[in-house]
Amino acid sequence: MALLEVEDLSIGYRTRLGLHRAVEGVSFSLEEGKSLGFVGESGCGKTTVGMSLMGLLPRNGEVLRGRVLFEGRDILSISEEELRLLRWKKISMIFQAAMNALNPVKKVADQISEAILAHSSSVSKAEASRQVEGLFQLVGVPKERMRDYPHQYSGGMKQRAVIAMALACKPRLIIADEPTTALDVIVQAQILEETRLLQEQLGISIIFISHDISIVADVCHDIGIMYAGELVEYGSREEVFDSPAHPYTRALLSSFPTLTGNREMLKPIPGEPPNLVDPPKGCRFRERCQEASHECSLISPAWTELFPRHKVRCIRFERKKGPQ
Amino acid sequence: MKEETGTSFLSFDGVSKFYLSRGRMLGGSGRQVVALNRLTLDIRKGEIFGLVGESGSGKTTAGRLIVRLEEADRGIISVEGQDVTHLKGKRLKDFRKRVQMIFQDPYQSLNPQLSVLDTVSEPLLIHRVGDRLSRAEMVMNALQSVGLSPPGDFVHRFPHQMSGGQRQRVAIARAMVLRPDFVVADEPTSMLDASISAQIFNILLEMQKSLGITLLFITHSLAAARYLCDRIAVIYRGNLMELGPADDVIQRSRHPYTRALIDALPKFGQCGETERFNTFLKAERESSSTVGCAFFGRCSIANRILCSQEVPPFKTVSPGRRVACFFAEEQGKNLTASKTCHYGI
Repeated sequence: MALLEVEDLSIGYRTRLGLHRAVEGVSFSLEEGKSLGFVGESGCGKTTVGMSLMGLLPRNGEVLRGRVLFEGRDILSISEEELRLLRWKKISMIFQAAMNALNPVKKVADQISEAILAHSSSVSKAEASRQVEGLFQLVGVPKERMRDYPHQYSGGMKQRAVIAMALACKPRLIIADEPTTALDVIVQAQILEETRLLQEQLGISIIFISHDISIVADVCHDIGIMYAGELVEYGSREEVFDSPAHPYTRALLSSFPTLTGNREMLKPIPGEPPNLVDPPKGCRFRERCQEASHECSLISPAWTELFPRHKVRCIRFERKKGPQ
Repeated sequence: MKEETGTSFLSFDGVSKFYLSRGRMLGGSGRQVVALNRLTLDIRKGEIFGLVGESGSGKTTAGRLIVRLEEADRGIISVEGQDVTHLKGKRLKDFRKRVQMIFQDPYQSLNPQLSVLDTVSEPLLIHRVGDRLSRAEMVMNALQSVGLSPPGDFVHRFPHQMSGGQRQRVAIARAMVLRPDFVVADEPTSMLDASISAQIFNILLEMQKSLGITLLFITHSLAAARYLCDRIAVIYRGNLMELGPADDVIQRSRHPYTRALIDALPKFGQCGETERFNTFLKAERESSSTVGCAFFGRCSIANRILCSQEVPPFKTVSPGRRVACFFAEEQGKNLTASKTCHYGI
């Protein structure tokens, strides 16, 4: 059984203008010890998916439909108290802008041991402190810096501290939301490498959320491409990168340059994503799609299986496969 | 020292900039931080020049010194032979008409209370260009050329009504509306989605071509620099490490720091077995900030005695190609990436 199973998840935000349909019918599953990357532009719903798994949707957010099975239990229907026990202990999160996720008036090590103590009553203070030392070693922050305050850390060190905090209660699933945005290339490469190693060593499952498809390429086993609230392509890293099927995926991939060969003009995706208060009928990507046809505005594309695990929502593939 | 070809438009000659760390102001023993250390380089007329490095490398400082948001502490910055390092009053204002800047964060660089029309026409007003009608026309043209079209849909919008990519286009229009000779673009896409970055890059390329502007592009990504730039300089903690034509610096890098930047780029596609250079030490070693090579603390190929004591000269290794490393000539290995390997920007 998969560690996490999400079925037909739909989430909306109530706004002045009406219900903003941020996530629509998203389904996926994640095996123990595997990593999954969600990629898409700002506003595609990737962060909302992550937040809902932690039970941390903002007040105006609401799960409209769907099930989230974690260890076989639907965590959308459990009480707030049960959810609190699950959070950090079983599922933890590395937030976007990690530099702001630390309490500025508390020593970094104390913040992490606090998380440990809050979730396991059997652990003594001394034991918690020993565990924190181990975590610092694991994420590569020197032991001498444990007693420092966050402002004494560089951006990369803060990010490592936040990763250590996410690992503190030995969770089975970590949701990493843009963990390297705002970091430099070199620090970013180190953090990604570390995440990959930790994941392998500790067998933790990771959901990695990013707007940048190049970032998830090295870290994730599976990739899900999101557009305007919907999942449009899903498959293994190799499948998605070597034979991208959805026009949006291909467009995302063609926004990146090479270092050798001719300097080909990059082909950015024209236009802007649609308004999700009143999402367009049919395929949501069609207005920006180079390959759109008349039918795309009529019917919403269904999933087509290209390989047992590689699937895509685009009418062109439905047509190729023909009626089943 | 002048380069071999091309007319120099802007040159740095031994430019240094220091900041005092906060301690001093509070009465403690403040440290002097060297943001730029005797920077010397020429930017040629009509080229896109890339300044590449991490945060804290001094690349943004260099840009801010050019547009005179800050003043150099030492050395001379000159534009077409004229010393502009310490211009004042009317001459500074005239100079600023020719030299504009695009900032990193379009969420902060636009005044939230000004409409697009007001934002883009402000430079025209300040420099008393045209009348109301002709200014409006210039604004419309500028918006059209950055792809905000039809411009009529955008002129009355406010920043909060636009996406990050649209805001950055407004910022570009504002920088371009005066038809400057020189523009500094300071990491113009680092706050934007990766898929939007390519749009912004293409607008910059087009602008540069159609208006003949000389452009300084500041970035931490060598991949972005390769896409846009004719020449690249790599900078580390205020010191130039490597300089030359973009393709040459990337494909035949000779400085270990440039190589570390290449290793760090995320990549995907048919990359094959891309050999890593592994020139970056995982754990920084003890080093002095005043003597020796600036990169010594992080360099895996350093000679412990030589590199910790002496500053390597910024020597010419081939025409137009300069490297500040004692071991530049011994670094024979070139980039092995395939043509179908794509890199993060």
